[in-house]
Amino acid sequence: MKTVEPAVVEGTALEARPSRGGHPIVRVFRERPSAVLGLSLVLFFVLVAIFGPALAPYSWTQPSGAVFAPPSAQHLLGTDGSGVDVLSEMMYGGRTSLIVGFAAALVAMIVGGGIGLLAGYSGGATDVGLMRVTDYFLVIPDLVLMIVIATVFGPSLSHVILVIGLLLWTTTARIVRAQVKSIRERVYVRRARSLGASHRRIVFQHILPQVAPLLIATTVLTIAYAIFDESALAFLGVGVPGVSWGTMLEHAFERTAMTEGAWWAFVPPGLAIGLVVIGCYLMGQAIEDALNPRLRVAHLSIRTWRIRKAPAATTHLDPEPDREEAV
Amino acid sequence: MRRTDYVIKRIFFAVMTVFVAITINFLLFRALPGSAVTNFARAPHASPELRATLTHEFGLDQPLWKQYALYLNQLVFHGNMGISFADNQPVTSELAGKLKNTIGMVFVGTFLAIVIGVVTGFLAAWRRGGAVDHASTSSAIVFYALPTQFIGMMLILLFASVLPTAGMRNQVNAFFSGGSTWSNLKDIGLHMILPAVTLALTLFGEYTLVVRSAMLETLGEDYVLTARAKGLPQRRIVVSHALRNAMLPIATLVALSLGFIVAGAILVEIVFSWPGIGQAVYEAVATRDYPMLQGAFLILTLSVVFFNFIADLLYFKLDPRITE
Amino acid sequence: MRARVSWLALCAAVAVVAAGCTSGGSQGSGSGGHLTIGTTSNIDTLNPFVTFQQNSYAAFEYIYPQLVQYNDQMSDFLPDFAQSWKTSSDGLTWTFDTAPNATWSDGQPLTAEDAAFTFNTILKYGDGPAGNLIGGLANVTKVEATGPNTLVVTYSVPAANVLPQLQGLSILPEHVWSQYATGDGKALRQFPNVPEDGQPLVSGGPFELASYTKDEVAIFRKNPTFYGTKPSIDGFGLQYFSSDDAMVSALRSGQIQAAINLPPTAMNTLKGDGSLTVYDGPGLQFRDFIINSSPNKTQNLELLDPKVRMAMEYAIDRDAIVQTAWLGYAKPGSTILPPAAGVWHDPNIQPLPYDIDKANAILDAAGYKRGPDGIRIANGHPMDYTVLFAKDESGAGDTAFQIIQNGFQQIGIKITQRKEDNDAVNTAILGDNNTYNTFDLAMWDWYPCCPVPDFILSVVLCSQYGSWSDTGFCDQRYDKMYDQQGVTRNQAARVALVYSMQKLLYDARPYIVLSNDDQLNAWSTGWDGFVESSLGLFNNLSKASLTQVHPA
Repeated sequence: MKTVEPAVVEGTALEARPSRGGHPIVRVFRERPSAVLGLSLVLFFVLVAIFGPALAPYSWTQPSGAVFAPPSAQHLLGTDGSGVDVLSEMMYGGRTSLIVGFAAALVAMIVGGGIGLLAGYSGGATDVGLMRVTDYFLVIPDLVLMIVIATVFGPSLSHVILVIGLLLWTTTARIVRAQVKSIRERVYVRRARSLGASHRRIVFQHILPQVAPLLIATTVLTIAYAIFDESALAFLGVGVPGVSWGTMLEHAFERTAMTEGAWWAFVPPGLAIGLVVIGCYLMGQAIEDALNPRLRVAHLSIRTWRIRKAPAATTHLDPEPDREEAV
Repeated sequence: MRRTDYVIKRIFFAVMTVFVAITINFLLFRALPGSAVTNFARAPHASPELRATLTHEFGLDQPLWKQYALYLNQLVFHGNMGISFADNQPVTSELAGKLKNTIGMVFVGTFLAIVIGVVTGFLAAWRRGGAVDHASTSSAIVFYALPTQFIGMMLILLFASVLPTAGMRNQVNAFFSGGSTWSNLKDIGLHMILPAVTLALTLFGEYTLVVRSAMLETLGEDYVLTARAKGLPQRRIVVSHALRNAMLPIATLVALSLGFIVAGAILVEIVFSWPGIGQAVYEAVATRDYPMLQGAFLILTLSVVFFNFIADLLYFKLDPRITE
Repeated sequence: MRARVSWLALCAAVAVVAAGCTSGGSQGSGSGGHLTIGTTSNIDTLNPFVTFQQNSYAAFEYIYPQLVQYNDQMSDFLPDFAQSWKTSSDGLTWTFDTAPNATWSDGQPLTAEDAAFTFNTILKYGDGPAGNLIGGLANVTKVEATGPNTLVVTYSVPAANVLPQLQGLSILPEHVWSQYATGDGKALRQFPNVPEDGQPLVSGGPFELASYTKDEVAIFRKNPTFYGTKPSIDGFGLQYFSSDDAMVSALRSGQIQAAINLPPTAMNTLKGDGSLTVYDGPGLQFRDFIINSSPNKTQNLELLDPKVRMAMEYAIDRDAIVQTAWLGYAKPGSTILPPAAGVWHDPNIQPLPYDIDKANAILDAAGYKRGPDGIRIANGHPMDYTVLFAKDESGAGDTAFQIIQNGFQQIGIKITQRKEDNDAVNTAILGDNNTYNTFDLAMWDWYPCCPVPDFILSVVLCSQYGSWSDTGFCDQRYDKMYDQQGVTRNQAARVALVYSMQKLLYDARPYIVLSNDDQLNAWSTGWDGFVESSLGLFNNLSKASLTQVHPA
């Protein structure tokens, strides 16, 4: 058979992965420039969020210039529809948006990870029951439910975080469950069980370390969704109180920034959200790819389409046939 | 045999999900603080008795379980989604009209997204590793990452003077100047351009990457390698094998996302003042119009369930070894 | 790449074609033509028994007869369906002579019988389905059409506000509505009252409602059978936009020819647009800062102290609010009857100026000492309150809140904004069983329907607990004055009473009126003849505006 050039099949099932030392996550960053780029983007905004407000030239709540003043020496990004300095708003708003994004993703990770772990490990009725619940959550239109819940709970930071987190856990749960299930059946886990190791020990010593990288990858992607959702909720008027990138977009819309030609009032927050999402996506995707090139789970879509079995001549982490069910 | 089993199972699941959704729907809206009555009693020339009348009329003075039973009965056996609190008219007919408006726009937007996605994904896979590949995947990621409302606002900023940026049509002109069917369609078409393009730009990224991956995978398959070894022209291999094999996963993905697209179209409808079901949801929340909200929420959930069901059938076609 | 290029080309081609197709409206030479008016305020329903929206009432003004209408100055009443009227000497009986030989748009006779039918239906079902409208017939004991062109309305007291109240009631066609005014009357609220099967709605005003698409557009066509001055134009449309930006964009691109209730942020650009005429006039709407005045309050009772309220008003920089939040398109607030209310506005009431030192002095003298963090202590707790903020107030209101927050901070009071849907705010204000016992502060607005005092003065009556009251204010002296002015037919005496009421209210400060919105409209220079008012060029006060408008 003709030898296949790696270029043709890189990124597909046939790609050979040289094994190297080091933690899988660290390896990802070492091997892939896209992951480094992603990390830099996110890190940049995190730094801005942490240090920005101290460096912000003006107040982000009080007006400091004319309404919709274009960018100038005094106001590098101009002012918004209330005369507030956009640059200062961006710095402070970034903090809020990122907090919501990270916190909501954390909620999703804990809840989703926990449920997925429980379902995958227990199997049987617990598994079926939990997955039914997940299924129901999955089909409910996110945004509409979020609007309603955010209205019921009221517009506070913690409520918005909870709302977003409690709708994003489903993906994580499914992915974790699938992974846990396959790990559980591995030889050494079976052996540990037959030797009488407690469930707790098996979970923490064998399963969790294996699941962790995948969980991290999924959580990173969830951050992207969460930030996106925060901006959507804000646009609908049920976002966090105060300043965030999402509320900046909503504000600009309400105050007719477009017809006023005041692009500086909404382009910065829009681009910022975009860049953070790109950053998270690149990181998450890189980790995912590295862990298991065929396990393209989240990959921008909530479900995977990939269930075709790849040929046997590959080296990868999972010896099991890729029986990824309809996640 | 297996297939029928699977289909029946999926139907059962779909029905159960709908039932759960209806119940959640009902409970959630009843849990909202304040009620439609307090909102509507604030009106000129209103009497103190009006509140009592309204409360009774809307059935809000009945116990919760009774309201639920009534709702269920009406919904399942009469297709009656209740009477809108805002104008006292049946929710079903109003939402049907709104849904039509949304479907038209969403259909065009999704179609555009698929076209762009397939084309760019195809090109990316074909010229893998080259500039085209990078351009395609980068733009896919970038547009996917930008918030939908932001894309819409940018389009308004750029095209406000050349394309209509609000509403679905200019009925007044058509009414007084006499509009033919063709001119009406053209009018709607013009108004639909920006919203549909916004939707398309939001969605296509997903499709590009999926098409690319699907094609890359297929390109690595044995039989494709064999075909190449046989010396068939590359273009023919790609088109006849890879693309065709990628279509089913794409169709599945589209079917899946269609359910969510309808919900996601809310943002587009608000930005462009498009009179669809998303806008109805937005308005109904503000006015505490429970029946309207319930109806819209239900329709959106049903659409997601329906398209997921289609997707499940497609999955099964793709790989009958799926177990549940 | 190929596909992409042709897609771009297609876009460009369409854009070029579209550029030629965006203008709308037609202009004749002085008459005829049609135009579209844009609004961001929806018509919820065209059934008078159900609707709550301003634009619905404005629509009724043009498709239905009312007995009287306001004059251009909004100071007096002109004939509409009633061509003349007289009152008995005891003020209890009003006789209206209605337009003879009038017809509805479907040819059926339009007579005083229709008026009698409408009013009697409202009276009959006032406790239920007609609850929306019964207020307009307060104190009416009998309505009778003593001839085809004579309507007699009898009151139990010599009511002073007969004409404004009756002006607000639309006369409905008996031959269409009588079938619904039977039994418990529920059918009255179920009838959609929209054009059906391509047939216009049976109308009796200068226009007939020819077409209606909910949440999109209402199309009005000239009614050739109108009993009054016929319109110049062929018709007009009222188009709904769900956002300000969409409406302004449509106005600037020529998709619509007029727009009402424009946002202040768009004004400068619109003023600079040579193709538009811009109107900036006094409006009736005002924004208020509410201080819970209910005697049932259980905590933060220091807010009931008039000195605290006075200090709060000194700490509110109204000028900053007008300039920064409203960009100058508002006036500093004073009383709940703004200047647009004409003679009813009390010009003697001067709002307190912004004076932080004065405010601090008052609070110091009253014994509210500052705590270690600068927040004053009252009754053992810090003066730290939540302001319920109605969603309606978003935008300019947020800026206004920040300005107030800043001022309060300088006098040692801390406030936090709690923004919620109108309904949630209303519920919070009402407290337990409508006792108004829990909330402290709120921010909201009022948009009175008409330049007469009755309604807005009534919202602070004791009897409005659980209904219109959003302050929990209850003062028997005020209520007595209200009843009295309701039957004081001598204008001067009535005005004096209304002034006293405003003074009482102002001193008690259940409301600190922050600002009074300007009425902002704009229209294409291709059109002329709109009659502006404190409620805009499309309003429920008179038929003049859209009847007189014509191509320039």
